[in-house]
Amino acid sequence: MSEKNSHILLANADDHRIAKLAAIAIGLHLIEAVLPSPLPGVKPGIANIVTLYVLYKFGIGTAAWVSLLRVFAGSLLLGHMLSPTFVLSLSGAITSLLVLFFAIRLPRRWFGPVSLSILAAFAHIGGQLLVVWLWLIPHAGIAYLTPVFALAALVFGIINGLVTARLLSND
Amino acid sequence: MSNPISSRPYRDLIGAIRPGDWLTVLTTIAVVMVLFDSLWLGETASKVQIRAGNQIHSTLSINQQRVVEVPGPLGITTVVIDHGRARVASDPGARQYCVKQGWLDQAGQVAMCLPNQVSVELLGSRKIHDSLNY
Amino acid sequence: MSRRINFWSLCALWLMVFALSACGREPVYQSQSYVFGTLVDITIYGEEESRAAELASRIQQDFQRLHQKLHAWDESSELSRINRAIAAGESISIDTEMADIIEQAGVFSAASGGLFNPAIGGLIQQWGFQRDSFSAVDIDRKAIDRLVAANPRMEDIRINRKNDGRILLSSRNTAVRLDLGGYAKGYALDRAAAYLKSEQAKNALINIGGNVMALGRHGERPWHIGIQHPRKSGAIASLDLEDGWAIGTSGDYQRYFELDGVRYCHVLDPRSGYPARHLQSVTVLVPPGNLTGTRSDADSKPIFITEPENRKKMAQQLGLTHYMTIDQAGNISVSAAMQKRLQWKTDVKPNILQTLP
Repeated sequence: MSEKNSHILLANADDHRIAKLAAIAIGLHLIEAVLPSPLPGVKPGIANIVTLYVLYKFGIGTAAWVSLLRVFAGSLLLGHMLSPTFVLSLSGAITSLLVLFFAIRLPRRWFGPVSLSILAAFAHIGGQLLVVWLWLIPHAGIAYLTPVFALAALVFGIINGLVTARLLSND
Repeated sequence: MSNPISSRPYRDLIGAIRPGDWLTVLTTIAVVMVLFDSLWLGETASKVQIRAGNQIHSTLSINQQRVVEVPGPLGITTVVIDHGRARVASDPGARQYCVKQGWLDQAGQVAMCLPNQVSVELLGSRKIHDSLNY
Repeated sequence: MSRRINFWSLCALWLMVFALSACGREPVYQSQSYVFGTLVDITIYGEEESRAAELASRIQQDFQRLHQKLHAWDESSELSRINRAIAAGESISIDTEMADIIEQAGVFSAASGGLFNPAIGGLIQQWGFQRDSFSAVDIDRKAIDRLVAANPRMEDIRINRKNDGRILLSSRNTAVRLDLGGYAKGYALDRAAAYLKSEQAKNALINIGGNVMALGRHGERPWHIGIQHPRKSGAIASLDLEDGWAIGTSGDYQRYFELDGVRYCHVLDPRSGYPARHLQSVTVLVPPGNLTGTRSDADSKPIFITEPENRKKMAQQLGLTHYMTIDQAGNISVSAAMQKRLQWKTDVKPNILQTLP
């Protein structure tokens, strides 16, 4: 009984942390939605830093919670719920979580947050482009945008990865 | 600016990159390059290319209103660009084929004023063919 | 992470892609000049720019030399010198290259049953096509009939290669006037191709006034050629021109004048002395082999001139398997082999010719 209680107590502490982290992620999500982006359609994806941080600290399950919570709450707050923007946001989050699920199993000695961040960014944009291509603009034109998005994913992936590494090293 | 205190976090950031990360970075750079190469190669904006003799006289956007005077051995060939289309308005050559051709509005179309050695070609978003058989 | 994409930002980016895309570079060198009274376009792929420029400039120089030598109405050209000697009934000493060209043109003429006839320079001059700039001429029926009756033919020309190395040309018919307008460009193509091969340049595209010959490929893909629509701006079809192939078109839209609403084109029927009027254009595609470029130039003329019912026979006689004709009503006919190679631009409905047994 007491053991179970202590377990619940521990979980509650985690819940608080997750809630806090999800709140930060949502905050970053909102800031990014308001800030003008350097190129239309290209955003740095700073909320991904939180997802990565949670992934390293609490594992893929918690990271998925934080990430999906951010997508849903962010969309609710911005009034995008169930709009194309929301679907794109969700599909990007799901594909990047899928890739992270496998990427976190890479040997830690060799592959750090930078690798994971880049892979997640590519998965994110890949998932979004796939949805755009299948659903919104089903013609070859989208192909010509791919290199721009890929370049953005690379640049912001590296930056976000470095920031995550810094945050983790501070703990 | 590069005192040890302010440069330390920077060094820490680079230090966070592990050997495999470099591999990831290099691989993704290669992927981005291949994407640019395969999807953008040969793509050009919608433009008008005017050639005079052996030289490219000018390459201009087709989305403008402009009159270009191109000198040739016989005199001036006048090219008119009009928001998405272009034509030879006047040419000193006797046959006037290039003037009779009228407006060009599709990529790959060419008007040649052979006597005055002036040619006007519309370049599309993609080069439709390498050369034209006529 | 909210790297959001929405429709309008895609559109904006699309425009930007267009603006940036001018940066894409290819190892392609292109040179353009005006020779043979037309546009000469040389594209070389995969060579260093300085070397490509050198190769192209050598070819352009050779074309310029040929142009001066074979010019039909420049008094100072070697061909004019020969024509003056023929008119005077004299024999004249010529060089090996000129002898080879005239003999080979004679072979092409014979193969076409005389429909390809470079000896009718007199007729071409009468029609006013031997001018840099020409306009409508008064049609002098009597003069034309006289020139046709004189029956100038390539067979009239005798080339005598002496033991001492001298080559003497004479003609038993003083009405012969050589005009290699339907031959020189093709010959120049073959020369350029041979030169590039000797220099180990593997990938190039040479276009002399619409006659195009391909060497190698454009990198990963074959060279792609558009075929001009005879009445509209732009291409009617396009095709991949594989290594060693050449394509040539004879059309009534290339050089012509209009008189009383009738179009008189520069391709003359030597039997009547009048411009051929059956077709708007003939396009021939010639496979790699001997004289590919020359064939792409010379072999379209007999098809253009001959009567519609004799066209298939003529093509067979010339060994042409790939050809396309567009008649005065705009109806397109293509050989089955040609159809396989063509990509039509618009909703063109070509009539596919059955090959003769």
